[in-house]
Amino acid sequence: MSSGRSRHRTWDWDSPQCRAQLDEVFFRRHDYIQAGSQDHKEFWSFFDRFQRFKTKRDMSGSGSSRKEAREQEGRDKRKSGKVDLDLPKDYDARYRINVSVCTRDIEERMGRSGKGSSGPGPQETSDCRLALLHFLDFSQKQSFGKLAKLRREQKSLPIYQYRSRIVDLVRRHPVVVVAGDTGCGKSTQVPQYLLSAGFHNIACTQPRRIACISLAKRVSFESLNQYGSKVGYQIRFETTRTTATKLLFLTEGLLLRQIQQDTTLAQYNVLIVDEVHERHLHCDFLLGVLRSLLASRPDLRLILMSATINIKLFSDYFNSAPVLQVPGRLFPIQVIYQPIPSEEQPSRSEKLDPRPYLRILQGIDQRYPPEERGDLLLFLSGVAEISTIQEACQVYATHTRRWIVLPLHSTLSVAQQDKVFDTSPPGVRKCIISTNIAETSVTIDGVRFVVDSGKVKEMSFDPKAKMQRLQEFWISRASSEQRKGRAGRTGPGVCYRLYAESDYDAFAPYPVPEIHRVALDSLILQMKSMHLGDPLSFVFIDPPPAASIQAAVTYLKEQGALDSRGELTSIGSLLAQLPVDVVIGKMLVLGSLFNLVEPVLTVAAAFSVQSPFLRSSQQNPDCATACQPLHSNQGDPFTLLNTFNAWVEVKGERGGGSRKWCRRRGLEEQRLYEMVNLRRQFRDLLKSHGLMEPVYSAPSGGDRKQRRERLTERRKLHQLKREHEQLEGSRRKVLRLEEGQEGDLSSGSDTEEAGKGRKDKAGSGQNMDIQEVKFKLRHNVSELQEAVSISQDLPSRQQALLKLLLCRGLYPQLALPDEHNSNRKDSEQVFHTRNKQGVVIHPTSVFASDPEVLHVPEDETREMGPDRRDSSRHQVLAFVTLLETNKPYLSNCVRVPALQALLLVANSIDSNADCARLVVDGWLELELREAEGALKVLATALTLRAEWEHLLQAQLKQSPAGEPEVQGVSRRVIEKLSENLVRFLLYTEISYSLRRLTAFQTQNLYIGPRPESELSQTEIPDLKPLFPGAEAKPDPIKGGLRVTSFFTYNCLADSKDLYSECLRTFWTCPNCDLYMPLTPLERMQHEASCRPAGEQQQLDKDPEDEKVATSSSVSSLTRVYHCDVCNEDLNLTSTEILKHKRQHMYSTK
Amino acid sequence: MEHNTTETPQKTFTCQLCGLTSPFTYYGQKPPNTRAIVLLEECFMTKDPFCPEKEKFLVLGSNCSLCSMCVCVGLDCSLFYTKRFCMQCVNKHLDQFPHQIQAELAKKRQSSQAAVS
Repeated sequence: MSSGRSRHRTWDWDSPQCRAQLDEVFFRRHDYIQAGSQDHKEFWSFFDRFQRFKTKRDMSGSGSSRKEAREQEGRDKRKSGKVDLDLPKDYDARYRINVSVCTRDIEERMGRSGKGSSGPGPQETSDCRLALLHFLDFSQKQSFGKLAKLRREQKSLPIYQYRSRIVDLVRRHPVVVVAGDTGCGKSTQVPQYLLSAGFHNIACTQPRRIACISLAKRVSFESLNQYGSKVGYQIRFETTRTTATKLLFLTEGLLLRQIQQDTTLAQYNVLIVDEVHERHLHCDFLLGVLRSLLASRPDLRLILMSATINIKLFSDYFNSAPVLQVPGRLFPIQVIYQPIPSEEQPSRSEKLDPRPYLRILQGIDQRYPPEERGDLLLFLSGVAEISTIQEACQVYATHTRRWIVLPLHSTLSVAQQDKVFDTSPPGVRKCIISTNIAETSVTIDGVRFVVDSGKVKEMSFDPKAKMQRLQEFWISRASSEQRKGRAGRTGPGVCYRLYAESDYDAFAPYPVPEIHRVALDSLILQMKSMHLGDPLSFVFIDPPPAASIQAAVTYLKEQGALDSRGELTSIGSLLAQLPVDVVIGKMLVLGSLFNLVEPVLTVAAAFSVQSPFLRSSQQNPDCATACQPLHSNQGDPFTLLNTFNAWVEVKGERGGGSRKWCRRRGLEEQRLYEMVNLRRQFRDLLKSHGLMEPVYSAPSGGDRKQRRERLTERRKLHQLKREHEQLEGSRRKVLRLEEGQEGDLSSGSDTEEAGKGRKDKAGSGQNMDIQEVKFKLRHNVSELQEAVSISQDLPSRQQALLKLLLCRGLYPQLALPDEHNSNRKDSEQVFHTRNKQGVVIHPTSVFASDPEVLHVPEDETREMGPDRRDSSRHQVLAFVTLLETNKPYLSNCVRVPALQALLLVANSIDSNADCARLVVDGWLELELREAEGALKVLATALTLRAEWEHLLQAQLKQSPAGEPEVQGVSRRVIEKLSENLVRFLLYTEISYSLRRLTAFQTQNLYIGPRPESELSQTEIPDLKPLFPGAEAKPDPIKGGLRVTSFFTYNCLADSKDLYSECLRTFWTCPNCDLYMPLTPLERMQHEASCRPAGEQQQLDKDPEDEKVATSSSVSSLTRVYHCDVCNEDLNLTSTEILKHKRQHMYSTK
Repeated sequence: MEHNTTETPQKTFTCQLCGLTSPFTYYGQKPPNTRAIVLLEECFMTKDPFCPEKEKFLVLGSNCSLCSMCVCVGLDCSLFYTKRFCMQCVNKHLDQFPHQIQAELAKKRQSSQAAVS
């Protein structure tokens, strides 16, 4: 006894050693809870609470007397003849636990008398066991509580009443429309009803990626498969889909891509298309495709889910499909019309007047006590409007200390966007000033007041100017209702409409569907690749205007994606596979041919995401200075390239330190992460199409130790990611009152820095940067570094070539600097595109801050007349977007040498007789000083183009999957071509003028077709050898001779209408000893066929090249010529024929 | 409890008092892969869906030891005191339960009534 007591005295529950001894008994490797696990940790903290509870109870000393009383009672009851439950006499909480833990070990220890001096004795073992039982019971209760709560919530959703009807309808009809308003639960519940009814292979499309992720998360939780993969999502870069996945959330665009591969969608049994009322381009198209697919898949079930908007349209489109309408769950919302008085209406150019908005804030402060919670959501049309009102509201908020003003729009950084979900301190309301992003895409709970300006800025497309336009419109009644609904999600609300009820009545019923507003290029391309026939006869739910389809077809033809009959070209079918704009896809394909894949991948990725340069921080002088070294005056793509490369470098060296690096430069790191992901996707696509040599070093390279290290690291990263995912959402910060004052309102650098420093401290608790973790999981940093190092500090030759590739990709998106720009202020530089005059450079572009690099150097120019300026340094801009907001802006521009680039990429080049005057695409006129040089330049360009085109076609034709080791195009040929292109770009020194044609000039541009009689007089030279397969024919419209698909000779109505004969000048061929008078065309012919001696030999030697070379240089160049004079059949090239003929001519004279 | 075998191989547990349903994977006293753990009644169990580890189980419910009604372990539906009792049986034999339980139930009834009114 005494020994037991002494041992007992040494036992210390708080000692880690003592606890470890118990771990040996209860939490061994094979036990339900293992030492070191999360549960184990929780057990010991539960244990502490449990012991404290026990001590407290023991001290209050309740129990024993009552126990006796109850015993007495029980005995009495038993006598009264009732069922005896045979319950224990003494109450013990232990009896309420239905779990028991017993092993031999435990039994032994508990049975042991105090003699064993080591380890826990019976008392400790028993205490621990009791605590464990209570802990298990507690965990069971906790989990079951979650389950019960979940089921309660599911039952309370309005759609719950309809679950069997929905399943029944889906069983009986191929297409069902489920219409329900916000909060009815359709998006989360309908897929689950179908799952539990036994349907599987269900795909549910969403218009937004973020919705795919959050729905998959929610639905897997609700269907109790949070840790399984029964429910998954698939978006552009990420998927959680496995073979076990029965329900998949994916974007509309992705499903369309899947149909491209799997035309009957055999992988799915049920398709749910959600949010069809939003009428996105992809969704409208998807419905059209599914409509025709249903015929070949009678077993397929299609469910359309929509808000209660325009339901009949969808039902009718699918042969009067049954509609199930579900009421929403909205609290009552009071609507107050408060039209803006005329004196406060802004005129066109003015800023918004904040007074009507401030009055509402004031009104709320007067009418509603601050302890009544409820935030305000204010809808404005655009970013400029938001910052005007934000500024005014902030002044009011600082004064009253009752509001936190937060902007919300898509160009904000992710962190700033995220703030709207944080909560405000008591007595303070959030005032969220948002674009229509908060109408559908972003849902914020706790909003009680909505202010609706009634305006929206929408993108529209002007097919005539090939320009996007961001214009302000009145919203539709449907949008208006949607905005109002945002006030009634969590309780009754108020909606202030800043327009009259009569305005509301005059609104259009629905928003204009996207398909009516945007360029249809990508859509038409995809339709072509899906063999959907003539786009004009495709049955769309709401067909786009024919002109818009026609414009897209024309554009695709210009881009070379469709041939003249409107069929896909080989490059077109590849472009259709790439989920990017046609121009960007073209860049990728072009880049793959030359050794420029790495930089082109980066640029293409950069063009496909929002700019990483945050507008607000670029006005901050510190950020601007820090960014300076990243800028390239070659053009914005080079700045983006530098930025990306530098970032990868930082990531390699400092990992998560890149976040700080980005912040210092005002960069949104999220965009860079998007770029690196997109880049990877592009690379995979190019590889799978055989357009990139596979990397031979295995990804798991390195020795075993390195591999193991990497594996351990990956496991750790996965763990971090999981932990983050578990924490996510449960952590909402409380905003500080000063929150709205910093951020993008601050123009001074000090406030910006101060705000950020604070934020850093606040965020230090969650030190892990999840983006960094994901990045490391997805990419091998050293591989990436290697890849970008190729594109770092490109030599000027490579840079020139890259510029040309970008230009060819972006063509016909070219702009000409106005000739008077050098006399204008920096801010007033004007440019012209073919279809739109007087456009300006977007302030974010490098050319907006450094326009001089586009000017023709003064000392280079020679005034040739009042408006003719000759130089060899003219440049044009290739651009990615032309967007009109308050002005038409060009963004993402790159400068290229005008003459060379135009000759190499333009679809239409017309010349006069001596080729000294060239007109490109019917709008740019180039006059070259010397006809001699002009001819040489033109001839070189034509040869280079032919060669380039030939190689490109060869590259595209090679089998994509087949034998990667057989390169269809030899490296050496490509290197030769790129060298020649570079030489042409950099070393063409020829003086010329460059200007736009006036409207009058374009009217009388061409000589037009000549009568037959006239044509027969002049001999049509044979031009076959110059461009194999092309036949020089008189152009039926322009006149002159159509030499290639893009070059028409002598069709310009020149002042000097010269006959080709008179233009013959003596010329010596640099390669052979030919010396004779030739017309420009004859000379070009000769040049095309007469290669330098060295080159000829090289071609003969290289057997790889022979395939390529023979067709163009040998066989097609010579032909059988029957000379009447000699009466002989001669095998000659056309120049030789001419030479031969002339021989006779001179001899007869 | 319903064995919904027509549509899915999944077996479903349904509480006959509150209607809570959930698929279950095991019925018995010895949840699989749990070594020392034994249940003191035959239970409907499933893998704990809120826990990442595979072996963690969740007891959904069992049969009332008196009337055999299938009930969930929710506090409104059943009570375990050495045996499982559905709430109907508990109320019927309330007097046989220890004082502590009676007081607890009375308190709960009061608060739920307050919430309703």
